[in-house]
Amino acid sequence: MAPAKEQNQKAFRLKRRNWGMAVDEDRCTGCEACVVACHAENNIATVGEEQAARGRAMHWIRIERYYEGTFPDIKVKYQPVLCQQCDNAPCEAVCPTYASYHNAEGLNAQIYNRCIGTRYCANACPYEDRYFNFVNPAWDEPLNLQLNPDVSVRSVGIMEKCTFCIQRIRAAEINAEKEKRQLKDGEFNPACVQSCPTEALVFGDLDDPESRVSRLAKSNRAAKLLPDLGTKPKVTYLRRGSWYDEQNT
Amino acid sequence: MKHGVSAFLVAIAVGGVASILLPFLVSGYVDGNRQSASPSYVTSGKCSASQMSFLAGAKEYFGIYPASVRQPIAFPHKIHVKNGMPCETCHAGVDEGQQAAIPGAAVCMTCHQVIATNKPEIKKLASYYRKGEEVPWRRVYWFYPSAHVDFWHGPHIRAGVECQSCHGDMRKETVAVRKAGLNMGFCVNCHRSRHVSTDCTTCHY
Repeated sequence: MAPAKEQNQKAFRLKRRNWGMAVDEDRCTGCEACVVACHAENNIATVGEEQAARGRAMHWIRIERYYEGTFPDIKVKYQPVLCQQCDNAPCEAVCPTYASYHNAEGLNAQIYNRCIGTRYCANACPYEDRYFNFVNPAWDEPLNLQLNPDVSVRSVGIMEKCTFCIQRIRAAEINAEKEKRQLKDGEFNPACVQSCPTEALVFGDLDDPESRVSRLAKSNRAAKLLPDLGTKPKVTYLRRGSWYDEQNT
Repeated sequence: MKHGVSAFLVAIAVGGVASILLPFLVSGYVDGNRQSASPSYVTSGKCSASQMSFLAGAKEYFGIYPASVRQPIAFPHKIHVKNGMPCETCHAGVDEGQQAAIPGAAVCMTCHQVIATNKPEIKKLASYYRKGEEVPWRRVYWFYPSAHVDFWHGPHIRAGVECQSCHGDMRKETVAVRKAGLNMGFCVNCHRSRHVSTDCTTCHY
């Protein structure tokens, strides 16, 4: 009935990865393609005008704007902020149900089944990148047909956050396992990285010294967000200029 | 003192009942786009914050699935398996990707143009085919949206898990019935014994 057992299946194991991201702020044009792509990929609900005005809008990735100088001589800096997948995450320590936990790949995972909606994690997160479903998500027809079947739809009362597109990681791993090979650098990307027109976002394995993201993380432009909190973020920001001077001199 | 203790016990009982009932009273559940009510190959056509009935909500909350589903055609699995058809003949793609396919009426008719054409169930099938319709099969195996599970068939079959471990022995079945509970304990037991990942994000995302 079932297909015959394949030999050597047990001998092959995928290498354990340490997923991370690099964000090149010098390249970011603030186009927000990553925000749109994230919404489409991860079934993130739009909450409407009224709820958004109360600060309940959900964007797993958002663009922060910083203005330098005064009007005629003004510079705008864009900073895409997503979950930093901290190695020492403040959100994990406060969760009473272990819905927010760290998995072996170093991802800061959110398990919706366990979440009871205390919102402690959102309060603990210094990057403010955890979002609570204050209302039940709804999609007007026919928008419900664009929902991604690989990602579960979260209901009211559940905290949600960036997953580094874990559904794409799993799909790539399953395909690689089928072909009995290791994942290649840049073989797949989260939706935000894939959609970035200037390649400001780079995703990959931080444990692989050859990967693009680990080389960028060692760049002399590299810095972390709020490094003094000791959260050990896995997202590296690259910027030439004031920030670089502050942290490296 | 005695009065205080009994009041305390009543408070606990009320609180316990309330904590079980509250999810149905307060929250509407999301109709996911992989719901069971419509045929499996048709998306349900609505995904809104609709309020489901109390009973349906309770069933979802406790993970109770209907054991048997009334199918439009009483499809006898055992006859097909006995005649030497492997599962993948009709449920194509099951060893490759995420989901197993439900065969279209045209697939059935490749054989049933000539085989057993006088049987009443085959006549039903033929009438669907003549009208250019698909057979409105109803889904037997599925998870509630609140389970937040993403299941892939491919890796399980490549790891040598037999179809009958989860779907029952189809050599004895007529219409497919949900035999195994397929709850998380069922999955995790097998994952543990085979020393594969039991990380939450292996399945839940």
